[in-house]
Formats: sequence, structure tokens, C-alpha cells
Amino acid sequence: MTATVHTGDRTTVKEGRARFDGKALLVLPGLAFMAVAFAVPLLLLIGDSFTGGKGVSLDGYRKVLADDYYVGIIRNSLQLALITTVGTLLLGYPAAFALARARGNLQIVLFALIFLPLTVSVIVKTFGIAIIMGRNGIINWLLVNLGFIERPIRLVFTEFNLYFGMLNVFLPFMILPIYSVIRMLDTRLTDAGASLGAGPVYVFTRITLPLTMPGVIAGVSLVFSISVAAYVTPSLLIGDRFMTMSQVMAKAYLNIRDFQLGASMAVIMLVIAAAVVFASSFLVRSPGQPGR
Amino acid sequence: MPRSVAPGRDSTFGVTLPATASTELSAPASESRHYLDVAAVTKHFGSTVVLSDLTLAVGQGELISLLGPSGCGKTTLLRLIAGLLTLDSGTISVSGRDLTRVAAHRRNIGIVFQNYALFPHLSVADNVAFGLRAQRVPRVEIEERVRAALALVRMEGFAGRAVSALSGGQQQRTAVARAIVVKPSLLLLDEPFSALDRKLRETMQIEMRHLLRDLRITSLFVTHDQDEALVISDRIAVINEGRIEHLGGPGEVYARPKTLYVMEFIGQSTRIAGRVTSGAQGTVSIDTPLGRLSAPASYPPGTAVVVGVRPEAILLGEGREAEFNHIRAKLLDIVFFGSKTVLILASAVPGDRILVELARRPPSLEVGADVAVRWRVDDSMVFPVR
Repeated sequence: MTATVHTGDRTTVKEGRARFDGKALLVLPGLAFMAVAFAVPLLLLIGDSFTGGKGVSLDGYRKVLADDYYVGIIRNSLQLALITTVGTLLLGYPAAFALARARGNLQIVLFALIFLPLTVSVIVKTFGIAIIMGRNGIINWLLVNLGFIERPIRLVFTEFNLYFGMLNVFLPFMILPIYSVIRMLDTRLTDAGASLGAGPVYVFTRITLPLTMPGVIAGVSLVFSISVAAYVTPSLLIGDRFMTMSQVMAKAYLNIRDFQLGASMAVIMLVIAAAVVFASSFLVRSPGQPGR
Repeated sequence: MPRSVAPGRDSTFGVTLPATASTELSAPASESRHYLDVAAVTKHFGSTVVLSDLTLAVGQGELISLLGPSGCGKTTLLRLIAGLLTLDSGTISVSGRDLTRVAAHRRNIGIVFQNYALFPHLSVADNVAFGLRAQRVPRVEIEERVRAALALVRMEGFAGRAVSALSGGQQQRTAVARAIVVKPSLLLLDEPFSALDRKLRETMQIEMRHLLRDLRITSLFVTHDQDEALVISDRIAVINEGRIEHLGGPGEVYARPKTLYVMEFIGQSTRIAGRVTSGAQGTVSIDTPLGRLSAPASYPPGTAVVVGVRPEAILLGEGREAEFNHIRAKLLDIVFFGSKTVLILASAVPGDRILVELARRPPSLEVGADVAVRWRVDDSMVFPVR
């Protein structure tokens, strides 16, 4: 997924691009590792999803897709991923913009603020959120003192708590790809837009946004596909009150030992995530860009 | 220290111009030279003074070059006029309308950028239509005006092309069409030819000059290329360290530069350092290591000066006439340029140089020879040095 940003140099595409290059062989070690660590287990998993106690069957998928309980869980996961994705996009785009346009020390500080949290383990972060969400936590204190509520309310193990935590954990994954595209965006393009009489909103919607779309789509597919599969954060922040596909999978494997159910759920999740990623990369290529 | 350096840009270096020279050489004067008014503009970046108290008045329809080395503040001035930067003090107005605090997109000032800044996600026609669409011009009119603008720059056949599929020259034409289609009150061009190869650059310069003349668009070119400035502009503003050292027609800044800096920046020149010994009736005598020279100027005896002469004003051979300066020097090198040949003579002082330009190479001349040259006293320019 490359950023299609004008850099000012005129490149003439020469033929012979497809010529085999020995450097391509450098991919082999990584490929071999992924074959063993990812492809083989994945195939075994897919196999598991079609085999139950009675041999080959579709029982796992039937159970998941016909049962309102499991369908509700799929909906929960999609809702969680969607809200997380939209939320991180709305918070992340302006942040990425500020980060890309900041200079000197300010940029270093902003970078630290956004990316240092990544070095903290998800479990630590999640417990931290539980603490500030407690009855004596800072959020309740703020709400009471600002007069929004009379007395502390229950926040721990609520959906608010869950979304708050998800945004916190996944925001950097949205900011990073968008930042890298905005940073490449030639500011003279927006200057040119202004010189042609276009106001800031017009310039944003017709120049900045279309040209930074590759970053937006990269961020969206990244955050969606990892948040739809999130396990630790939802388990710790809301637990059984809001079951997601990952939690069901864990229960299927660890508690009720129904491997076919777990594998079927895993394959369904994989299909959803893959669909989002493929749709995204398709969107990146297609939107009416002449000659691309 | 914004105002500390300004040794009177217009003020008296005492050079007395021959009465005919300035009128003959300057560009056709426009009726009023206050279409674009840049008044006492100052701009700092941090503690660096980029422009100090700069004033520039441009007539309607004039083509002005802002000429100077990189870092002299010319691009900053352009961005200030466009509204892409805010100034610290001073005012900018176009056609009597004060734009100092007006946002860039409400100024109606077009820009052609150095890298053209074409929108890479739009076709040629959509690039050109961008400003019209932003300004909500009716669709039928947009089509018509885009077609006309593309025709003007001879890009009719490329309307549907992706801008990435264009050559450098075509990109530049597109950028020009995009800027002029909205009928800007002023067009700013930031080194618009620097990305083109030499042949194409020369063609485009002439073409652009004709186009802008025909459309009577008041234009400001930023350039560091003196040849470009001489070819294109009605007047040239030579900028040095955030100040305009000389504003005048190409002929004037070349033949009668106001400062040593301007003489050095534009064209080739001979320079010989010396000291004024005596002066009378607007002519001074100057002692130099190469002998005594005369020049039309008035400086008190003892003033350290540099005498400058354009290479084509210098003639080979001895002469007896009193209205000529004569020197002899050793020939160091002969440089052949095709349409001209330049002789480089040895000078006594480091930093000095003597250049003689000839249309044809004299057959008998050999490097190492002792050469006599002369030039008219009137062709001598004198600049005081600190």
C-alpha cells in the first residue's frame, strides 16, 4: 500500500519492471518462517472447523450461524471493531496531522506522547484504566465535580469503559499510517489550492483527504482487523457482560473443549478481517484516479 | 536589528548618469506604478531578519523579476504577497485593496510553483478547473474557460491526461493554465523554469513573456537566474539580504547598477580596486595597481573604491584618446563560448579580475602575451567599498 503523493520529480516508467531480480530471493527466510508458524496451523485450524466428534461435518458453522446467541456475539465483535475504528479515526486523523506538521522539539514530544503508551503492556494499561474508572477514580471525580452527576456511578465493566480502553489501546495504530502519509504530502499542494480561491474546508476535502486516503485506509484496516480479534482488553475491561468472538473461542477451547466450535468461530473471524483488508486495498486502488 | 543595514539604496553613490542613458534603457513605464504596493514590509523567522523594511511598487501589467541568491528573501516576499505567510509589519495592497490581513484564498493571487504543485490525483482538466469549482462557477462556464485556458498554453489535447503522464514542460503549461484560468489580479511565479532543461527553459521563458504580456497579467517572477530575469522582465528588483538593492529595467540594472553587489550579480564584469586621488567636475581619478583610471563619479580623495567595467565595453589595443582608460596586463586564458570569446587578463590584486569580451577570437593572440586594452571613461562604474 503505497502513498500516491506528488513529490515533484518526473518519473518516466521504463519497461522491464517485471524482470526477475535476485533480491527477490531475500523474502525466502521470512516466507519459510511464516509457512511453519502461520500457514500450517491455519490449515490445521480450518481442518478442525470441519471435523467434529462424528467426522467431517458443518456442525461448527451451523452452531455459530444458526444460534442467536453466537450471532449476537459476532455482532458484538463487529460493533466493537467498528466503534473502535471510527473512534480512533476521528481522534487519530487530527493527531496525525498535528504530528506531521509539528517541528523540532514539539514533534519529539508529540511522538513520545502518542507512541510511549505502545511500550506499556496491554494488561498494565487495561488495569490502569480500571483504576481511573473506579468509584474513587479520576473520571468519577471529574464528573461529580463538574456537576454532571450527583454521586459516583459505576463505570468498571461497562461498555463505556470498554470503548474507552479500546480507543486508548488502538489509537497509535491509526495514527502511525496516517501520519506517514500526511508527512509526505507536499504543503505546496494545499498552498496552491488556497491560491486558487479554495477555502480550508474545500482544500481539505478535495486535496488533503483524497491524497491521504491510502493512510486512512491502511489505518482503518489495521485497527479493524486487530480490534475485531481483541481478547485481552475486552476480557479485562468488561468480561462476560459483553462477549466477543475471541472470548467465545477461548471458552470453546479452554472450558467446554469444543474444538470444532472454536475453530469455526476463528475461521468466521478470519474471513471478516480478511474481507475488510481486501476491500480496503481495493478501495485504495480504485477511486477515480486517472492513470493509476 | 531589523533596520541597522540600509546604506541608502537609492542614495548618492554620486554616480552621475548621462542624461540619455536611463530613459533609453528603462522599460516602458506604465501609467501608475502602484497597482501592487508592498510598503515597509518586515519579516523575521525567529531571530533572523528575512526582509527588512522592504518597499516595492509595481504597475498594472508589469512583469517584475525578484532576482537574488537563495536565502535573500525573495521567496519569502512572494509567500507574503500570496498570503501564505503573515508579515511582522508593513502593508500589502493590490489595486488599492489592502490585503495585509486577508486570507490567502480570498486574495485572488495566482501562484505557479517551482515544482508546479499539480494535484496528482486529478487530470489536467480537473487541475485547471479546480479554482473555478472552488469558486462555484457554473458548470458550463467552467468547461468553456478550462478549454480556453488549455488552448492558451497549447495543452488542448491533454485535458484527460493524468498529470503524472506529462513532461516537465507540459506540467508547467498546466500549472500556468490552472493559475490564469481564475483571472488572478496578480500572478506569482516561483522559479517556474528551474526544473526545465536549458533549451526548453529558453523557449518557455519567451513563450511565458508573450502570454503574460498579451493577457496583461501583472506578474512577479522569483528567480536566481540573472539571464532569466533579463529575458523576461520589464523591471528587475535585485534583492540582497532582504532588501531591494536596485529596481530598474534590465538595461539599466545591467549598464548602471546602483551597487557593487548588483554589478557582480548581473552579468560578467571587470573589477579593479583602487583609491580616489582627485576629482573635478564629476570625474575622479583613481589610483590602481594597473595605473591611473578616470571615471564619472564624485568621491572625496582617499575613498577606497572598485572600478567596474562590462566585458563588452573593453576594446583591444592601445589608444591615445583622453576619453579612454588604458591598461596593460598579461593574458591568462582565452575562453571560447561559441558566439563570443572571453579573454581573462592577470590582475595585480586578489579578488580583482579583468575580462574582455570579443565577438571573434583574434588569430594572433596567445596566452602569456602582454595585452593592451582600453575602455571609455564613461563606461567605468565606480563603487565605494568599506
